[in-house]
Amino acid sequence: MLGIVLAAAFATSARGQETAAYFKANCASCHTIGGGRLAGPDLKDVTRRKDREWLKSFILNPQAKITAGDPYALQLLEEARGVVMPQVAGLTPDRVDFVLDLIEAESALEESQFKGQQISMAPFTPADVTRGMALFTGRDIPSAGAPPCFSCHSIPGIGGLGGGFAGPDLTLVFERLGGRPALSAWLQAPATPMMQSLLRNAPLAPDEIHALTALFEDRAKHGAPVQAGVAQLTFSLLGLGVAALALVLFDVIWKGRFRAVRRSLVEASKL
Amino acid sequence: MNVRAQIGTMFHLDKCIGCHTCSLACKNIWTDRRGTEYMWWNNVETKPGTGYPCQWEDQEKFRGGWEKHNGSIRLKSTGKARIVTNIFHNPHMPSMDDYYEPWTYDYQHLFNAPEGPDQPTARPISMVTGEHIDVESGPNWDDDLGGSPVYAEHDPNLAGLSEEQRRQLFSVEQLVFFYLPRICNHCLNPACVASCPSGALYKRGEDGIVLVDQKRCRAWRSCIAACPYKKVFFNWHTGKSEKCILCYPRLETGQAPACFHSCVGRIRYLGVLLYDAERIADAANLPTEQLIDAQREMILDPHDSHVIENALKNGISDAVIEAAQDSPVYKFVKVWKIALPPHIEFRTLPMLFYVPPMAPVMAQRRDGALDSVSDNLFHDIEQARVPLKFLANLLGAGQEGKVLYALRKQKAVRWYRRALTVGDVDLETARRMLRDADCTEHEAQAIYELTSLCTVEQRFVIPPMLREQAIESLKDPHEQKQNAGFGFLSGPRRGL
Repeated sequence: MLGIVLAAAFATSARGQETAAYFKANCASCHTIGGGRLAGPDLKDVTRRKDREWLKSFILNPQAKITAGDPYALQLLEEARGVVMPQVAGLTPDRVDFVLDLIEAESALEESQFKGQQISMAPFTPADVTRGMALFTGRDIPSAGAPPCFSCHSIPGIGGLGGGFAGPDLTLVFERLGGRPALSAWLQAPATPMMQSLLRNAPLAPDEIHALTALFEDRAKHGAPVQAGVAQLTFSLLGLGVAALALVLFDVIWKGRFRAVRRSLVEASKL
Repeated sequence: MNVRAQIGTMFHLDKCIGCHTCSLACKNIWTDRRGTEYMWWNNVETKPGTGYPCQWEDQEKFRGGWEKHNGSIRLKSTGKARIVTNIFHNPHMPSMDDYYEPWTYDYQHLFNAPEGPDQPTARPISMVTGEHIDVESGPNWDDDLGGSPVYAEHDPNLAGLSEEQRRQLFSVEQLVFFYLPRICNHCLNPACVASCPSGALYKRGEDGIVLVDQKRCRAWRSCIAACPYKKVFFNWHTGKSEKCILCYPRLETGQAPACFHSCVGRIRYLGVLLYDAERIADAANLPTEQLIDAQREMILDPHDSHVIENALKNGISDAVIEAAQDSPVYKFVKVWKIALPPHIEFRTLPMLFYVPPMAPVMAQRRDGALDSVSDNLFHDIEQARVPLKFLANLLGAGQEGKVLYALRKQKAVRWYRRALTVGDVDLETARRMLRDADCTEHEAQAIYELTSLCTVEQRFVIPPMLREQAIESLKDPHEQKQNAGFGFLSGPRRGL
């Protein structure tokens, strides 16, 4: 009872709201509170599992803890299939305290606001995969206007040139992030700064996430990653070809341009 | 009336022997520097020939000079709007190959060559790249090649000649050529000045010499495309344009320009011309056939009291007016009308004039021998080996009338002098010829004297340049001295 009161008090305070927003932006893509595991573990009652000092130092620098050989940190690493928790931007010791306060308060609630989105567990259909492909390649524009994935990412089945090479290949992302719930959560609230900036003002709708997850699941099962080298070579050769063609075109358009005077006289006289 | 003074020049082509002494004098003084190796501010061309740079007269290729446009004239090469698409590259410029790649010889090799079965040779080396090159052309590559099917046959002045005339011009026994020495014309309506986006080119107010300010030049090279005579050059080392400066440092010290001074044939004349600057715009805009007369009209009579009064009002000093009254160029151009501007159809109003050359007449076979004596007095001018049309294209804006007038007068003077000194022709006939050629005996004597007996002082009437006064019109020398300190002297170089 006291916990509920405390939680309510914390949540309504200004700092509480700010911390909640921070959690949503930075933590919720990998963690739920009472919603089960995503890329990272469920944080419900985490403050009871481990003492605050340990948690604080781990959150501030996860890699250091792992390098130091801390047994619990190594256990977490194994559970996360080797994905190291990234160092979160803007974290200060104070803020870690606030976040832990928030987790403590939310854990006391019956249903936390960070339980995670209720992801549709409806089975994927071929139509979902097709829709996902349309979204990926930009034939369908996501409702909020997010850019098509293939400007930066590649997956099998989008042609010989592949997609973009600025972002990682997404063929096996379904497995890499640990399955459907984690991938869905990630698409809802991505963890990387680049994806955050892209999706902050243009979040994906639940049905779009469903379709994309269906696509990634399908590709992870069937596809082999695009051979980046081959695709890049094809692209470069094509570029060279088009450039050469453009030069030929310019040459035709400006056929009568000024060229050498003397040399042409001499050459004409040799004929 | 806006009277201004201009140093006018005149080349008597009938006296030019094509020795290139002028070119060398100029080269040794001005263009022996790095970056200027390929430049010949003064060059001598053989006509018919393509000249230097190759085919410079063909403005369909090089787009120099002015053209009529909507009732006015505009630069053929560029304009405020037209420059936008060519802002980084001006496509209508002669390349180094059209000038020539300057070279020297590997003389050291003659001394350092290892012992071998053959004589060592001095191979040509490019003065631009320093590599061995095969010399393919030079600044006077077509020198004396009157009949050359590569060069002479492509002279733009051959336009309008009949097949028969062309055939004669290139058949072996009737081959003919003459020489055309060229420097900057220091035009009244200079296209180079008009084209410069940086305002680096200017025409000196007091003497009309066209110069490039080496500090303001920004290497746009508009002047090189715009000058129809291709007499502005780009120094590839300093990144600035350069041109003939009419040896103004020599003029300012009372000496004739180096090419004038060194001329072996004494073909060059120099003197002040007074002209009416108000008429430049209108004159340059007239139909082609009126250009020569319009330019002569602009040149004012320095003896006319009205002209003198206006000249004094414009700050032209008495000494300059006196020099203008003695100017040999004034006599040849305006009084005798036997000196003509080159290609005035480019509309830059050049202030260098040429007396057209007399050419050998077409020989006729008589009794198995070639005979060139003609009974028809003036008739053989039309029969000269150099077709009148060719000279008209070069010096008469395409009209034979002006060239014919100059040649007839010259021939009449010759005939008259022959009657006086040799006596093998009839004096009465000579007098009749003079009358037919619009020439008095007095005038004939004057033409003869200034052509054949002229002294240095008669050929070069150099006005006092009065630089100190010219500077005073811009700034007070005392103030300048107190404000400027020692200042800096540095050579031109690339960049701002």
